[in-house]
Amino acid sequence: MARKRGRGMAACWYGIARTAVIDRAAAWAELDDGGSAKIVTGVTEIGEGILTVLAQIAAHEMGVKPEHVVIGDNDTARAPEASHAGASRQTYMIGNAVALASREARKRLVEVVADAWGVEADTIRTGNGEIWAEHTNHRMPMGEAVHLSKSRGVVPVGSASFGTDTTGLDPVDGSGRPWQAYVFGAQVAEVEVDTITGEVQVLGIWAAHDVGRAVNPQGVEGQIEGGIVQALGQALMEDYKLTDGRTTTSGLAKYILPTALDVPRVNSIIIEDPDPIGPLGVKGVGEPAMVPTIPAIMNAIYDAVGVRITDLPATPEKVLMAIREKEQRNAMQA
Amino acid sequence: MPDLQFTATINGRKVSRNGKPHQRLLDFIRDDLNLTGNKEGCGAGECGTCSVFVDGVLMKSCLMPLAKAQGKTIETVEALAKTGELSVLQKAFHKAGASQCGYCIPGMVMAATAALRANPFADREEIKERLGGNICRCTGYQKIFDAVEMARDVQNGSLPATALFEDEAEEGDFIGKNIRRIDAPSKVSGRLKYAADMIMPGLLHVQVLRSPHAHARILSIDTSAAEAMDGVEAVITSADVPGEDGFGVFVNDQPVMARGKVRYVGEAVAAVAAEDPLIARRALGAIKVVYETLPAVFDPDEAMRPGAPVLHDYAPDNVTKHIPIRVGDVENGFAESDLVVEEIYSTQPIEHAYLEPEAGLAYVDHDGVVTIVSPDQNVTHHRHMLARIIAKPISKVRFIMSPVGGGFGGKEDMIYQGMLALLAMKTQRPVRLVFTREESIVSTAKRHPSRTVLRMGLASDGRIRAFQMKMLCDGGAYGLSTEGVMRKAAILAAGPYVIPNVKIDTIGVYTNNTPSGAFRSFGALQTAFATESHLDICAERLGLDPFQIRRINAMRDGALTHTKAKLGSVSLTRALDAVEKASGWETGAPVSRGASRSDLNSDEIRPPCALGARFAAAEKQEAAE
Amino acid sequence: MLTCDNYLTPSSLDEAFDAMAEHRGHYRIVAGATDTLPWAREGRAGDVHIPAMIDVTKIPELRQLSVNDNRVRLGAATPIQRFLDDRSLVRTLPAMPRCAVWFADDQIRAQATVGGNIVNASPAADATPCLIAHAAEVELAKKSDGNIGRRRMTLDQFVTGPNRTALEDGELLIAIECDSLPGYGGSFEKVGHRRSLVISLVCLATLVKLDAQSQRIEDVRLSIAGIGPKPLRLAEVETFLRGAAISPERLEQAADMPASFVASRTRQQYRREVVRGFMLRGLINASRSAGADLTMLAPELEVACA
Repeated sequence: MARKRGRGMAACWYGIARTAVIDRAAAWAELDDGGSAKIVTGVTEIGEGILTVLAQIAAHEMGVKPEHVVIGDNDTARAPEASHAGASRQTYMIGNAVALASREARKRLVEVVADAWGVEADTIRTGNGEIWAEHTNHRMPMGEAVHLSKSRGVVPVGSASFGTDTTGLDPVDGSGRPWQAYVFGAQVAEVEVDTITGEVQVLGIWAAHDVGRAVNPQGVEGQIEGGIVQALGQALMEDYKLTDGRTTTSGLAKYILPTALDVPRVNSIIIEDPDPIGPLGVKGVGEPAMVPTIPAIMNAIYDAVGVRITDLPATPEKVLMAIREKEQRNAMQA
Repeated sequence: MPDLQFTATINGRKVSRNGKPHQRLLDFIRDDLNLTGNKEGCGAGECGTCSVFVDGVLMKSCLMPLAKAQGKTIETVEALAKTGELSVLQKAFHKAGASQCGYCIPGMVMAATAALRANPFADREEIKERLGGNICRCTGYQKIFDAVEMARDVQNGSLPATALFEDEAEEGDFIGKNIRRIDAPSKVSGRLKYAADMIMPGLLHVQVLRSPHAHARILSIDTSAAEAMDGVEAVITSADVPGEDGFGVFVNDQPVMARGKVRYVGEAVAAVAAEDPLIARRALGAIKVVYETLPAVFDPDEAMRPGAPVLHDYAPDNVTKHIPIRVGDVENGFAESDLVVEEIYSTQPIEHAYLEPEAGLAYVDHDGVVTIVSPDQNVTHHRHMLARIIAKPISKVRFIMSPVGGGFGGKEDMIYQGMLALLAMKTQRPVRLVFTREESIVSTAKRHPSRTVLRMGLASDGRIRAFQMKMLCDGGAYGLSTEGVMRKAAILAAGPYVIPNVKIDTIGVYTNNTPSGAFRSFGALQTAFATESHLDICAERLGLDPFQIRRINAMRDGALTHTKAKLGSVSLTRALDAVEKASGWETGAPVSRGASRSDLNSDEIRPPCALGARFAAAEKQEAAE
Repeated sequence: MLTCDNYLTPSSLDEAFDAMAEHRGHYRIVAGATDTLPWAREGRAGDVHIPAMIDVTKIPELRQLSVNDNRVRLGAATPIQRFLDDRSLVRTLPAMPRCAVWFADDQIRAQATVGGNIVNASPAADATPCLIAHAAEVELAKKSDGNIGRRRMTLDQFVTGPNRTALEDGELLIAIECDSLPGYGGSFEKVGHRRSLVISLVCLATLVKLDAQSQRIEDVRLSIAGIGPKPLRLAEVETFLRGAAISPERLEQAADMPASFVASRTRQQYRREVVRGFMLRGLINASRSAGADLTMLAPELEVACA
């Protein structure tokens, strides 16, 4: 058979939030009119799905529906600092800050409603746009409860700051506490190598990643699937080429990216080992998702055709020439 | 040049206007009709974001001179949800989670619409083939395929329409639920405006003059001819910076525009604001820069040698950052090892290639607040830096993040917002800059290329006794995130394994290459490539299964990391167990046993792509006729 | 960026030639524009100003398609997509569908023209070797002294080198004519760094006609691109195979023959390696497509290339 299959695996770990520096994020929350809620924070949605995650967290904590959560723009003159999009940090830092701010807003509302109903605050429950007191007939839509609160002079707002307990690294031996949350993962890759052309196709990846707690599992899968394909691009086809500081790959015809026809089927397994420090138990996944992929693919190529690629990308030329060299070496030894 | 009298039917309405002969259909629909749903992701027909229907056939409108569309019937993405209700396909994209940054999505939705129009029963392989002209950088495509299959099934009745609805959540418990993305409807409909889609009254257009040299002194810049051109409102250089010129993520070593010298091909040297982009572009040609080329260095090893050209005075050895990690004594560790393996691994520079090229607007508002609107990954830090650069208090500097069409770390650096601020201040008018794809590739950060020497010593039972790694990275002309990348790489390099003797050195070096910066997974990807490949090499020599060698060395609850931090719960073995089980992995040493293993070819992989899926469908149809 | 003063869309050959004469020295002919617009960009030609763009795709003769069992005539402005969606072309040009499905993507195929692809003569142009395998000829026309004169030559004569053709100043490519080969089996082998929108390094078009028992090769055409400055018809190999029974020995000997022709300037070793495998694969795929039952005839071959 000219087309040979193989499998490889790799493991990874990653730190969540900014490295070796104290990270911080703040949020403002308001239970608003008509069963809606407002969240304002310096959130940087770049496609990873953080807006939806925050809407879910706010809805969950404040007792409204996610589609009724309005999130303010990321505007330095209108929103509290939540730092940047990077370090797989936003679900952890901003998610936790939003949870805490939401709880404070809810607490303000609950105190007023409890007083109005003559019940203990800890018997009040909220969810899906409604508020009720356990073991009683007291129940009303959230919009009404907010109106009640405001008529008593209390606007149900809350705010919170969430920070990390981390240190810098020693300049000599690197010792220190760079993160307070770590995640772990592992992937298996199955490839097919065409020994006539050297082309490698990645047919399947199984990916198990610890995310602490998955707020939106479909979103977690999206991060894993997208990260894997980015890594695949680096593994097999992408190469920004420079000669004397000048690039020959200035456009997407020469700098080639994976298309719909190049991607494996990704089977994601979400592992939840909750973070004990933050209020939600969440951690992160954006970057760890792509850390084991390249070695898993290279190990799979080795499994398929016995060649070890140590210099990326593993283009058809490299793979085919490595296969031929191996055949020649084997022939000489025989 | 005489105008082009253009008439066509666009989204059901007859349009009759003058265009310019050099316009492409994409320019006309976006700039003249303000239909900004379809995008210019590359302008060269590679990415598909510009895909529109022309007389019912899907085409790339960035490749269509306007005159070609004369008299035709055009449908842009706005045509799909014209009544305000999303099409079945758009709803399916929403339900399946197929939209992330959203920039590829309008074009992708058009391609998916074309696919199902061509074959309403297309299988997954044919769907992939018909989407082959549309690039997505965020999703990995999987949920896009899921969405198209879902729409196909709803349209042909094998799935009920309710399949597209939001899942119910009991008792308001929304954590752990697949709530549909709240920003997806605006993205699948094309209604969301990104920076390049935004216009303001009185807008000026910006173009940037970039260095043709990798290393050169700037002897003089004469902007007078450019400034005198009709339609040019202002030209700026580093001379226009009123405050402390310098920005960066860890070290403020980068000027807003080249100051005194240029350090890489593509570095910004000057910028023009004019009434339209073509005038601005022509004005660039009228700026006279006199350079004196300097010896340049393109290799990090060479850059560290005495006598190499120095890029930044503060770093005479061209080392941006060196991070050491030390545990125990590796020499003892190797001496105790039964197996010592050394190998060299190298990785290439990688372009982020987000579908949205950089773009941004700036204006000075009625309170004198200098406002930047751009797809910016770090508005917080940028506000600080810009305030210092333009010598204004923080309260007079405002950064607003526009929707980001992909970031991955490439929109972390403040490489154009400073120029926008200065031009807005100089002209007292709103200004907008839209990068071409080529400009984005040439001038912005890349993933650090790396060359890693890894030496591992193990006992015959598989325990790692010593881990020694030296990773040298080309940081390019400016610091950007090099320090952070070296640090993260060093901390994570030895992997989640208990190792008594560790010596890691990660070194980032200045060269006259394109700067390297933040890119998703930030150095850990490069070291993991080395470490995880190496473990398999060692496993083969010791006759151990790859999972086994990792379990033998795995950190567990309460382990100490290589920076001597104590971990809490460690889920590594859970992840290993889970993926081993899910993949049905057949145990065995990695001796290149692909030909004999029995765990291959399950139904959890996709078929290899041989192209021609549509032939099978066509043959079936012919046979039926 | 491409700018122009005039974008002309002549609706007849006369109009086109008149426009070319009027703008002599200051025009560029454009068909699908799918090569021209990407060319006028940074990193390639950069900003280009052409006073007159002359778009030939509205000229009726360039859009004509005529197909019968003897001959196929394609107007130069025929979109590449026709090779996939026009049943008569699929039937009569058996290697073209697989060539077309590898060509860019659906959107570009709908716009790119076969004439534009040929005149551009990119070394990576896949349609050219495939058409050469179908014994394609080009018809060219030029206007002098008020009369339109035509001439013809084979496609492999027309392409003279990388990005070079025999097209004269003031001349237009009108049509491509080639053999109509219903009943042949066709294949197209190509290697690329990914599966779509990919520039090929080496590609091979193969056409095979079998005898009535489907055991002998009655006719074979082989055309390869990427191993030299222009696409090659492998006439020697064709002669070697014509009339031969399909056997592993014969096919392997045939596969060994082109390696000595590889004269590319870059990645020579790789191209040599790939060519041999492509020859086998191409012949096997085309034979199978022509109706050969390889599991009966040459089982080990089938397996070797799978």
